Amino acid sequence: MEAPPVTVMPVTGGTINMMEYLLQGSVLDQSLESLLHRLRGLCDNMEPESFADHELVYLLKGQQGNPFMLRGRRSLLHPTAPWHLRYLGQPEVGDKSRHALVRNCVDVAASHSLPEFLNEMGFRMDHEFVAKGQVFRKGAMKVVVSKLLRVLATGNTENTEPLSLSYLVELSVLAPAGQDTVSEDMRSFAEQLKPLVHLEKIDPKRLM
Amino acid sequence: MGAVRIRSCFLQLIAQVQEVSLDGLETYVPLLSMSQNLAKLAQRIDFNQSSDSDEDGPERESREPWGKPEPEEDEGTVKFQPSLWPWDSVRNNLRSALTEMCVLHDVLSVLKDKKYMALDPVSQDPALTKTPQVFQLISKKKSLATAAQLLLKGAEKLTKSLAENQEQRRQRDFNSELLRLRSQWKLRKVGHKILGDLSYRSAGSLFPHHGTFEVIKNTDIDLDKKVPDDYCPLNVQIPSDLEGSAYIKVSIQKQSADIGDLGTVSLFRRQPKAKPGSQMWHLKLEAAQNVLLCKEIFAQLSREAVQIKSQIPHIVVKNQIISQPFPGLQLSISLCHSTGEKKSQRASPDKSKPDDHLYVLEHNLHQLIREVHTMPHPASSPFGHKRLRLAGPMAYDKAEISSLQQSEGLLEKIIKQAKHIFLRSRTARTIDSLASRIEDPQIQAHWSNINSVYESSVKVLITSQGYEQICKSIQLQLNIGVEQIRVVHRDGRVITLSHQEQELQDFLLSQMSQHQVHAVQQLAKVMGWHVLSFSNHVGLGPIESIGNASAITVASPSGEHAISVRNGPESGCKVLVQFPRNQAKELPKSDAVQDARWTHLRGPYREVHCGRMEGRNFVYKMELLMAALSPCP
Repeated sequence: MEAPPVTVMPVTGGTINMMEYLLQGSVLDQSLESLLHRLRGLCDNMEPESFADHELVYLLKGQQGNPFMLRGRRSLLHPTAPWHLRYLGQPEVGDKSRHALVRNCVDVAASHSLPEFLNEMGFRMDHEFVAKGQVFRKGAMKVVVSKLLRVLATGNTENTEPLSLSYLVELSVLAPAGQDTVSEDMRSFAEQLKPLVHLEKIDPKRLM
Repeated sequence: MGAVRIRSCFLQLIAQVQEVSLDGLETYVPLLSMSQNLAKLAQRIDFNQSSDSDEDGPERESREPWGKPEPEEDEGTVKFQPSLWPWDSVRNNLRSALTEMCVLHDVLSVLKDKKYMALDPVSQDPALTKTPQVFQLISKKKSLATAAQLLLKGAEKLTKSLAENQEQRRQRDFNSELLRLRSQWKLRKVGHKILGDLSYRSAGSLFPHHGTFEVIKNTDIDLDKKVPDDYCPLNVQIPSDLEGSAYIKVSIQKQSADIGDLGTVSLFRRQPKAKPGSQMWHLKLEAAQNVLLCKEIFAQLSREAVQIKSQIPHIVVKNQIISQPFPGLQLSISLCHSTGEKKSQRASPDKSKPDDHLYVLEHNLHQLIREVHTMPHPASSPFGHKRLRLAGPMAYDKAEISSLQQSEGLLEKIIKQAKHIFLRSRTARTIDSLASRIEDPQIQAHWSNINSVYESSVKVLITSQGYEQICKSIQLQLNIGVEQIRVVHRDGRVITLSHQEQELQDFLLSQMSQHQVHAVQQLAKVMGWHVLSFSNHVGLGPIESIGNASAITVASPSGEHAISVRNGPESGCKVLVQFPRNQAKELPKSDAVQDARWTHLRGPYREVHCGRMEGRNFVYKMELLMAALSPCP
């Protein structure tokens, strides 16, 4: 029996080369209500959806260079939903005028055996946290307002304490590479949230 | 007083004895000299104790506390201080008196001026001061009058401001109108323009029309003339291609003349009902949104009409989509957009009937347009179909994935619904026409109230009047689908009929003829007759073009008579009665059969003319026949 034909060209385009455009900001606990109110008005007309997710960050330390990082996330409210495995690349060093942080993004749905699989592959869990909050959407844009909680005992998501007295606000769009109009739309949307929260691109390298 | 002092002055001229020594020598107090005496007397002068009564009261009172320590000093022994010259105290007293007098003089001169100071009498005891009552009345009246004036002034101010407010409200200032507009429509400010959004994008629509309108201030108002009633300081400018009004016209027409068309229906055609509170901008925006909705629906339908493959291809011409769900049936969907300036030329005879299913169809269309968003859990997942996210972990194969994708478009669903509705109405018409045409076995149709968009069901019973309890063997359940009718018989047979109505009619006719024979079978049981033979599909006799003939032979309880019935859908019913031999007219003499008892066997047949028998239906006639043939004991 002949082997089925294998395509020799690498698969490009489609959903492989997706870029994530990201803007981040934060808001204090007491200003949360007004921000949610405004988001309800600006975003698509749906009931705001709450979420509670548990994210584990895995690192693969090679002999040299930077460790390779993967993020695995599961929903605490929907235990049967599949895990979400995500790879985020380095932020693209494009022209400074681009308003959002652009980085390569690969999203994969995974079954519930993901942690064991990653452990077998050689990844080690670096840290974990729980994020609780609400998700909004406007067209292709997703706004996530989340409170990050520290997990006190590894693996126990019941015992958590908040990391700070504020909420993290993220505006993100997943789009194929090369669409720069996306960042313009994101910037105009961020303008509408202006006095409540300032969304800007925060380079993760500068925080390290 | 002065007199007493003068007398005391004289007494001073006699020297006083200071001391008497032991030898009787008197030592006299040295007499005061003239100046010393004068000094002593001057000190004795009490400036306070004056007998003048026309001094001012306050002067007296003011001097009193100051002057009180003075007489005390005088009463004590005169302390003669040789350091001070004797007239010092006199001088001081005089100076203070002068000061007092100057003050008094100043006060009086200021009072005289009446500019900076005024004297008011101290309130006196009303018992002491008896003012006449007239004065009291007048003073009270005056005070009330001033209070009333103040209140009236305040009330006047309030009424003026209220009238101003009402005036303003009637004039409907721009900002309050803008607030009302904002409560119903989405607005945003871009630069110095105010833009609004009337598209359905926030509800999930993906139509590429921008749907923005602009809010402009209405400044062509002449303030001198009277403000018209429908004046609005705010005006909206809608995009030029959304002006006017639009609706979608759906019509199903049949090309052959037997049923006729199912009619024409206009969707989303709203008469502009002018509510008293609604503004012109509201009506304009609603009309524009309606136009956008109709355009979106039509665009999606025409896109699908071109893309999907069907047996008879759809035709898309300008603003009309023509498709043929069934051969001979034409479904046309057209977008009618009138810009409103000229009245539509073609007469629109169809008034929009307030049918209930019209709104249901509109709601269906609304739902089919909108995508239903589901949020991803966990929140970081990309947007997408929830079931499709499971494709990876659950290792779906291609067949499963393709079944998850939404394959059916809007037009296909509409055509399917149209087909089903058409089939259902034609089935109903067939059954009704048969029921009205044929009286002998009666057809009853019980339609179920709860149907789905693609399926309805009806239960058909064929009975004879008066014998419903006995002859109920033909009961059919018809499930009307999109293209076919599935018939489930009581005896378990399942038959699939196509959309041709002739098939259904033929089937029902054949069932009716079978019913007659079944009825005779049941009747025989009741009457006590024995069934000799029974066949649903006889192979003898003339061939029927519809179905098959059925036949039954029953014998009387005594065995002397027998009835044979043959019923066919086309040939009708044929009834033959078998008599015993001894009742026959010509009795064939035979040598073999000689015993008399053989004459009781059944022999010849005679036909019965059913049409000339009494009885309202076939089963009744059969009953009469059976009763006639069974002799009374």
